[in-house]
Amino acid sequence: MNTRFSVSRIGWVGLVIGMLVTTQAVWSAEGGLIVDGSTTVGPLGDAFAEAFKTSHPDIAITVNKTGSGDGAAALIDGRCQIAMMSRFMKDTEFTKAVVNKVFPVAHTIAMDGVCIVLHPSNPIKELTKEQITKIYKGEITNWKELGGSDLAIVAISRDTSSGTYETFHELVINKEKMGPSVEYVSSNPQAHARVKSTPGAIGYIGLGFIDAYVKAIKLDGIMPTRQTIAKGKYPASRPLFLFTNGYPKLGSIVHELCVFHLTEKGQEIIEAKGFIPLTNY
Amino acid sequence: MMLRMLFDKLFTGSAAGSVGLLCLLLIVVLGPMVWRGMGAVVFRETVEFRKMQHAIFGRGSQAEILRETEQVDGLRKPIYDTFDSFAQGIDVDKQLDRVREIYREYGDSLRQRNTPADEFTQLRSTAKTIRDRLTEALETVDQSEAISLTLQVLEMEINFAGEPQLAEFFEIARRYKKTVEGIDPGHRQEYAELLREVRDAMNTLFGPRPDQPKPPLAEHQFGATRWDLVQRDVRFLLYDEQWVQETPGQPLQKKLIPRKQQFAGTELEGWFDQIELDLKSLFRPRLRIYWQYFFDDSTPGHFFGGVGPEILGTLLLTLLAMVVAIPLGIISAAYLVEYGGDTFIIRIIRTCINTLAGVPSIVFGLFGLAFFVILFGRPCILAAAMTLALLVLPVIIRASEEAIRAVPSTYKEASLSLGAGRFRTFMTVILPAAMPGILTGIILSLSRAAGETAPILFTGAVFLGPMPRSLLDSTRALPYGVHGIATGDKVGMTMPHQQYGMVMALIVLVLLLNFLAIGIRWRVSKKLRGY
Repeated sequence: MNTRFSVSRIGWVGLVIGMLVTTQAVWSAEGGLIVDGSTTVGPLGDAFAEAFKTSHPDIAITVNKTGSGDGAAALIDGRCQIAMMSRFMKDTEFTKAVVNKVFPVAHTIAMDGVCIVLHPSNPIKELTKEQITKIYKGEITNWKELGGSDLAIVAISRDTSSGTYETFHELVINKEKMGPSVEYVSSNPQAHARVKSTPGAIGYIGLGFIDAYVKAIKLDGIMPTRQTIAKGKYPASRPLFLFTNGYPKLGSIVHELCVFHLTEKGQEIIEAKGFIPLTNY
Repeated sequence: MMLRMLFDKLFTGSAAGSVGLLCLLLIVVLGPMVWRGMGAVVFRETVEFRKMQHAIFGRGSQAEILRETEQVDGLRKPIYDTFDSFAQGIDVDKQLDRVREIYREYGDSLRQRNTPADEFTQLRSTAKTIRDRLTEALETVDQSEAISLTLQVLEMEINFAGEPQLAEFFEIARRYKKTVEGIDPGHRQEYAELLREVRDAMNTLFGPRPDQPKPPLAEHQFGATRWDLVQRDVRFLLYDEQWVQETPGQPLQKKLIPRKQQFAGTELEGWFDQIELDLKSLFRPRLRIYWQYFFDDSTPGHFFGGVGPEILGTLLLTLLAMVVAIPLGIISAAYLVEYGGDTFIIRIIRTCINTLAGVPSIVFGLFGLAFFVILFGRPCILAAAMTLALLVLPVIIRASEEAIRAVPSTYKEASLSLGAGRFRTFMTVILPAAMPGILTGIILSLSRAAGETAPILFTGAVFLGPMPRSLLDSTRALPYGVHGIATGDKVGMTMPHQQYGMVMALIVLVLLLNFLAIGIRWRVSKKLRGY
């Protein structure tokens, strides 16, 4: 009995010493580069970090995907150096940032299109903004009304803190309030999965997420493609941003990451991830 | 009497039924997840997987990999060659440019060789004729015209036997003739579109070609790494999925059209069968138990590799949270039962603790963000672990309190009457006796802490980051990783096994931690019973 107790006592002492040692190491540690924000830009953040891992093996890049709004908040609170955003900062966020002595600078790194997607079994090939607005307001509830088959419409939307939602809300349904029957999901893959498995579904996702399981349709007669989005012909095109506090110091790692999209490798990555690189040649 | 027995039976029956239902639910919910998650560990690997393991993790012998790559590349070369030769016949624009270029180069070389003036003019004008005929043949949309023009070009080959620069002219003509015999040049545009789909599908299946520059991201550097992925991707190569209207007003029907049929009569017709037939030797599938999945780091985005850092992070967070929460919880419980008495204030405190136990976890997460993150200066392991500790503290206090109260007061009285102090009585008599109950509370809170996403979301978990070097770094964690995969990139869509694998790892980890705690409890209670 006694020996067992002394053994466990030694164990506890060891644990305490171990903790002290780790805490010693703790205060000397230094943070790397933290990138936070949009789930849409997130894949690009991951990919840039991967590319930097080979070129700068000593720099630790942390990427977090919490959403455009949370990214902005993190930049304002100083919890990250770069905020990824799929929409521009709102005036309220700007005001808050300036009060906190953070001066947001936008770096546009790529273009993206918000594509309206349907289940591939849906015969509808194009919709107008007005029709989509009516669907999301709950005024059109059956595909029959739009010339499709007799099937109830399931409208899928992203959550309201997402940048994709803002783009859709502003550029497609003209800031109309969505009806109560709209279903909300919190990410591009979830919206994709929901549309893929529901024959009557309509949703919207980024261009990079289009594959054989969902069908992108024309919006106001224009098909979302690289060309139409890059030229801004497609109505729901949007730039993707990185925000920093002030213009990053030249030569710093933050600066390098913010101009990485201009390099050949950066553009290749952007294209491979399904976004449209910013070029003008 | 009868009624009482009936009620008795009814009660036993319903109790047994609900336990059975619970077990069934557990199997129905967890079973498929663990089963599909096992797919991340046990699967049939292809040669691409071995290449990936060697390139990223340095596994396998270099010589072996090189030899195998060479063999497979040798098998793939004819496939690429057939495709290219067909594609060149379709993509005439590129060849038109090339034809013009050859003519220009030929003229330059003639000038450099100081060819006599009249010979120069003659040779060049013949070359010009060939160029024009070939251009015409490439541009025409009439099949018979294209064939006769290429034949005319080929007849002139004898005149230029000694001119290596012009050999390519005839090469192009021969290839084009072969293509144009199979397809009508009028439908070239349609074939070009189909061919683009085939090329994309081929690139997904086989990965980048050996002569192509290496893509910058690991996820694009390899073909299908697993046999199940091969089978999925080859379907897109062999069949064209089309949705067609069968009856008006009805939803479209999915139809698989064999690509072989689309390319019927062309050189490519047999190509698809060849791939289907050789699929095994092209990929060399082999059963693999990828146990390193639990230890490996992953490429950014979790396309390849394992969940090592996530498991380490989760263990670190959970154990650290327990180290903080257990002593605090037991001491609080001891105070509430042994020292606090039953005053009004204690009752208020107890109500507060009960309320805390029911507070949603995201509220704790936000509190952690507002308090611990500011305290430590940044989101880090310590902040996240503290937040988790706060989350489970009420549960531990409640369970410990009940366990301590359940210890018979005779134990305490005996100890006190032997002259032991209150502290000594508590440490040596009451605590050991209450330990099994306390441990039950610990087990419950341990799995809760390991599985929670919301409290660590803002306080210290990241989706992509380096291995933590200290407790002030942020870390990856399993629950947050699952969330990240589900909300972030296309991993879940293109490589579902990675997502299931992580879920499985989380379930297995929580079960293991539970079994460990249950084992400790069993030992403690065995000691307590005295046999």
